[in-house]
Amino acid sequence: MTGLSFALDYAWLVPLSTLVAFVIVGLAGNRLKRLEWGGWVAVAGAFVAMVVGLLVAAAEMMGPGTYTDQSFTWLSVPGSPGTFPNGVNLVMGVLVDPLSALMLIVVTVVGFLVMLYSIGYMHHDRGLPRYYAELSLFLTAMNGLVLSDNLLEFFLFWELVGVCSYFLIGFYYEKPSAASAAKEAFLVTRVGDVLFLLGIFLYFATFATSGPGAGWAASGFKFANGTQPFLAGISGGNSTTLTIAGLLMLAGAAGKSAQFPLHVWLPDAMEGPTTVSALIHAATMVAAGVYLLAVTSIFLGFTATDQLAIVAIGGFTCFFAATMAVVNTDIKRVIAYSTISQLGYMVLAVGAGVTMVGMYHLFTHAFFKALLFLAAGSVIHAVGTQDLRKMGGLWKKLPITGLAFLFGALSLSGFPFTSGFLSKDDILGSVLAATSAHPLYWPFFLLALLTVFLTAYYIFRAFFLAFGGPAPRDPALPEAHEGPWVMRLPLIVLSALALGAGWLAFYPPFASLLAGGGVPPSFSATDLALSAVSFGLVLGGIGLAYALFGNGRMVEVPAGSAADRVRSVLLNRYYFKAGYDWIGLRAVYGFSRAADFVERYVIDGTIRGIERAFARGSDQLRKVQTGIVSDYAAYVIGGLVGFLLLLLVVAPWIVAHLGGS
Amino acid sequence: MSAFSPAGLLALSGGLLAIGLFGILTRRNFILLLISVEIAINAAVLNFVYFAAFSGSASALSGQAIAVVLIGLAATEVAVGLAIVLALNRLRGSINVAEANALKS
Repeated sequence: MTGLSFALDYAWLVPLSTLVAFVIVGLAGNRLKRLEWGGWVAVAGAFVAMVVGLLVAAAEMMGPGTYTDQSFTWLSVPGSPGTFPNGVNLVMGVLVDPLSALMLIVVTVVGFLVMLYSIGYMHHDRGLPRYYAELSLFLTAMNGLVLSDNLLEFFLFWELVGVCSYFLIGFYYEKPSAASAAKEAFLVTRVGDVLFLLGIFLYFATFATSGPGAGWAASGFKFANGTQPFLAGISGGNSTTLTIAGLLMLAGAAGKSAQFPLHVWLPDAMEGPTTVSALIHAATMVAAGVYLLAVTSIFLGFTATDQLAIVAIGGFTCFFAATMAVVNTDIKRVIAYSTISQLGYMVLAVGAGVTMVGMYHLFTHAFFKALLFLAAGSVIHAVGTQDLRKMGGLWKKLPITGLAFLFGALSLSGFPFTSGFLSKDDILGSVLAATSAHPLYWPFFLLALLTVFLTAYYIFRAFFLAFGGPAPRDPALPEAHEGPWVMRLPLIVLSALALGAGWLAFYPPFASLLAGGGVPPSFSATDLALSAVSFGLVLGGIGLAYALFGNGRMVEVPAGSAADRVRSVLLNRYYFKAGYDWIGLRAVYGFSRAADFVERYVIDGTIRGIERAFARGSDQLRKVQTGIVSDYAAYVIGGLVGFLLLLLVVAPWIVAHLGGS
Repeated sequence: MSAFSPAGLLALSGGLLAIGLFGILTRRNFILLLISVEIAINAAVLNFVYFAAFSGSASALSGQAIAVVLIGLAATEVAVGLAIVLALNRLRGSINVAEANALKS
């Protein structure tokens, strides 16, 4: 413990500072024209968050493995004997532990750099107060999520980042494609969110009722401070219920992290501003799914079945998404597919039981992916298009952007001695090591290995198409020039981080963060042969990309050829989107039509029929009331006669024939 | 008293009641309606008187007393009824009960 440890008690300042920025920009942004419509306020908020976040992370590094939890009880249900022996408490709190400190670094640093970059990138857009307010709210929610100390609070912030993502994808809401992409992202992640919530319920229901978990329920379902996963201590971690709960967690993570089969929304999310893609859809929010898996794996634990499912989803997704990136011609979508693919690597690592290796890749990936997006944003800012077919020859015009993109691409493809190389080979090595105990992991390891080649190929294809060659292929493109310093500075800082952040793992205090929860990265697992193989694959990918696109020309594929058909399948994303649209438009809509018919005609029809019968009946009954005294007298007399008949004739008859018993 | 048999007396009061009810149901003139009501009440009064006479002396007085009360009741009822007739005549210029149907709706 050092003098920094006081910072651990002030971790709540991180979300609070951006929340203040959100309130100021949200309420008064329209009057802050001189502060870039509130942009500088948002930058200041993000800066304070970054400073506090880094101090907190530094304090956590100095006191390795400390677990600082500040919370208050939000809702308390008293216990009752039998069902809930200890009662249930729901708490809200701030938890700083190695895992959240690691995430805090990523979110606050990338958050600040992207916010700064936005000042230049978004300068010509309208609706800036809305943009900066929503981005500040996003940072608040994301930091809140990272600092959550229990699953329910986690879920609240999880939903909040989801809705911010929805707002920001739909930032250009006048554009129909952006509006529909926002809706798609919201709906597809919602599938995962609902399953995630069910998973939380299942954990709560399983643990709140009886057994050792009841104490956990009483303490507010907090992420416990223990040396081993919670489940390992109480059940051997192998019951069917817990397997199902683990799979539901996986479903939630798959929705947020765009894993197969809920991957469709992320490429479409590129309709938002590039800064949003960099921050939300590359570095932070989509990583929340992986973070969820890591938290669950460290604090609760997964069963063996869950682990296999996670490995399968991760391994398959990383290959599957990489294939789609190979042919795409939209610079942002190429990077988006690569994000899905890299998230697949992380999920694969968490599933293979090396959680912190996955988190290590999350850490390095956040920087080089944010860098790639910001560099792509710089290109888009300069030439006004996202179409790779029109670009070309930008290397001389945009030297800083070009270098930044190159560094990002090298790190992404895992070129030796970049961050990406360290973390990706660590994943491959760890998964390879895990295959000895779990032979079923083999196919997914091979897919992941193959993806190394595809990754190098598609990202350098994009690089050569954008920067290679003598001049833009579309002569109509405007003269390109670098952006202002607020755009160049984040590129330079992120370039350094993209190349070097991975080396932090060799700095003992930082390594203690990675060692602080679960299995730490260990470079002994990465044997030299595997690194050599993956380096060969990287060189092969880059070489192929250079051979095909190095001269800055598009490769013409003859129409109707086999290659063209493959390209068409890939461009149509294996028809998944079409399939989901079919489900949405035909199956769900058809069912809704049927339900509508039942509602409208069967249920409402019955109710209206009853209503009409009463209305008509009372119309008839009204005619009885004539207002004529003689008629009323007749009713009185008739009633009296009827009553007498009943009393004197009917009742004796009944008694005589039926009674007597 | 022996000149009248109980059956004959009951038939007389039954007939009076029937005449009264018939009048109530068929007359549209308010005054005739009131007269019909009086006839029906008198049928009841007659019944009280007969049964007081035929029964033992102990309950005889109470039957006679009720008959007297009923006569008084009928008188007050006619008084109120005739007041209504006057008011109705002033209001509508007619004492036809079929036209006095403002309470219909």
